[in-house]
Amino acid sequence: MNELDPRIHQVLDGELPLESLPPELRATVLRLERAAQLLRAGEAPASVAGRVLAELRRPRTATRGRRVLRWLTERHAITIALRPIWSLALTAVLAAVVLVPTHGTPPLLGAQEGIAQFVGHFPGARSVDVVGPFTAWRSGVIPLRDDDHDGVWSAVVVLPTGAHEYMFVVDGERWVADPLAGRYVSDGFGRQNALLIVRPVGR
Amino acid sequence: MRRLALVLLAVAAPLGAQAGGGSGGARARLTGRVPEVAIAPVDSVVRAAEADDLPTEPLVQKALEGAAKHAAPGQIVEAVAAHADQLRQARTLLSRAGGPPPTAAEITSVAAVMVRGLPPPLAERIVTALPNEPPGPALHAVADLAGHGFAEDAAVDLIVAAARVGLRGLRLLDVATAAVHELQRGATHDSALATVRRALPDVPSPPKPSPAQVNRARRPRPGA
Repeated sequence: MNELDPRIHQVLDGELPLESLPPELRATVLRLERAAQLLRAGEAPASVAGRVLAELRRPRTATRGRRVLRWLTERHAITIALRPIWSLALTAVLAAVVLVPTHGTPPLLGAQEGIAQFVGHFPGARSVDVVGPFTAWRSGVIPLRDDDHDGVWSAVVVLPTGAHEYMFVVDGERWVADPLAGRYVSDGFGRQNALLIVRPVGR
Repeated sequence: MRRLALVLLAVAAPLGAQAGGGSGGARARLTGRVPEVAIAPVDSVVRAAEADDLPTEPLVQKALEGAAKHAAPGQIVEAVAAHADQLRQARTLLSRAGGPPPTAAEITSVAAVMVRGLPPPLAERIVTALPNEPPGPALHAVADLAGHGFAEDAAVDLIVAAARVGLRGLRLLDVATAAVHELQRGATHDSALATVRRALPDVPSPPKPSPAQVNRARRPRPGA
């Protein structure tokens, strides 16, 4: 590489006026200034590494959903400071929710279970129960309800799939075969039991 | 049968009172529910059934049922003994039809249908015609049809035809229901059967319980 005349440096640095140079050095200075202008006007093509780094540094305009998803899937250090009394209370509440059966909880049905709806018209009755092998023929296990006191008593019960004999027991003493059952079998005691065939709920 | 019950009462009651043992599970369940004098004879029937490899739960249930209905002790023993005979007959019928030894559930379900009045030869015909089918639904379907006045042989033919076009299990009950619906629309028995047979396997299914019904459903308390 040729060394530049130190006076050219001084002119480029603004220490000497251009006019103080001889004509041949003045032409060199002008060429150098044109080259510098060209470099300033257009960017030189970037290298591969430069382009990758530029891409990594470019800020992404992520959507809100994407930001939430990223927050949910990335690791975070979460610290919860609780007084021991609150920890115990929280544990007790969770245990109660898990262990205490609530009335409104729908039953989870097994593959071999179905729903049986018992309905009977017993105006003036004080109590109506449905009994069968599924209650060991005991009254009081599945009471029917007549919430609006119109004489129509009903109960919806989870039973194993298949055939079930049953009867209604009205006021704890009167045994009645369901008149709407459609199927009946002799009970061996001089009466007829109603017969219900329970289907799996999923079918 | 009444004589058998009386003999059982006379012979087994004193023995049972002395022994206090027997098939402990059944006896324990009967005690306090069934009249004391009937417990030993019923227990004797249950033990005989157990020794004969028959299901015993239906027998215990029959005794509890009789007691709950305030039947006389003799009547309870008689009903239990009669039901043991039905179970035995059901097992014989299933065994004659071939295949693997029948399960307790199969014996119980066949006996239950025979209690509905389905003649054993007819039940045997169905079981033999549908060897790979659980017998209960097919037999109940025929009993449903017979209960509505359809000729028994024609009823068996329809149910067997339905099974052969792919309807299985409880769907066979829908075939009987479809025929009964035709009858209720005014068709004769023969034309009702013919209509349903032409439509096979397309017979309507009953509606599924609504989510509200499922949510309202209660389970009988365990140990009942």
